[in-house]
Amino acid sequence: MTAGPHKVKITYCAECGYEPQTLDLAKTLMLEFGSRLSSIELIPWDSGAFEVSVDGELVHSMRREGGFPAHERVKNAVRARLSG
Amino acid sequence: MSVDRARFEQGLTYEGFKAQMTRNRDRLEENERRVQLRPEDVAGFRDLPRPLHVVVLAEDWCGDVLANLPVLGRLAAESGKLDLRVFLRDQNDDLMQRYLNQGMYKSIPVFAFFDEDFREIGHWIERPASVTELRAKRRREIFAGNPEFGAPDAPVDQLPEDARGRLQTEIQRMRDETTPFANAEVVRELRELVNRVAA
Repeated sequence: MTAGPHKVKITYCAECGYEPQTLDLAKTLMLEFGSRLSSIELIPWDSGAFEVSVDGELVHSMRREGGFPAHERVKNAVRARLSG
Repeated sequence: MSVDRARFEQGLTYEGFKAQMTRNRDRLEENERRVQLRPEDVAGFRDLPRPLHVVVLAEDWCGDVLANLPVLGRLAAESGKLDLRVFLRDQNDDLMQRYLNQGMYKSIPVFAFFDEDFREIGHWIERPASVTELRAKRRREIFAGNPEFGAPDAPVDQLPEDARGRLQTEIQRMRDETTPFANAEVVRELRELVNRVAA
């Protein structure tokens, strides 16, 4: 595991009803990584946003990739950070 | 599935929709109070030769529903010529599939207008393009005038929390300032649509 805190941020459009997808992803990460993540921050936003970043690196953007991210893809990004 | 009287009557009245809202009812009703209708706009609906049925697809979490359904609600109340039935998008996919935005997106609200024999006159989706364009322009101006907000397309989570809060405030102010224009554009587009029945 790399040193230092590892943070995930999920920015979601609160006007679009994306709370279920946000909470599902947060729960997946909580159960998979537990205290190996220092924080999972949920940021209510607008404009159709659904963005996930790991340690400041954008790993999914609804605007860029379309749709919601596969949980496995986000988990792999986190694993890469933890082991990198 | 086509829309007939039996299907139409399965929908909620506008008041019924408001009564079942689990969130944002205060925002919807505040927007309803703030809508300013010109007498000629009300007359444009009141003078329709026949009442129209309007199928509405909506959900209480959607910002465009909270902004635009109250405009339709006020037009219905003040003209007496629009009979609304609201269907929750996520429980009525048969209807949603008929009105996909660009054939792909489940954008709401949808307002679909029918004559007395349930022949469709036309439908309206989400918000006027002119409103999307104006707000995109104003959004670009906010970023141009505030370098601390970074690039318009940059992930917002990269902003410090205080800058994020200021950006949110600026965007909300811009939305409030453009609301009268947005409401007027909704009315204009709906008038153009229903005028087809009067033609």
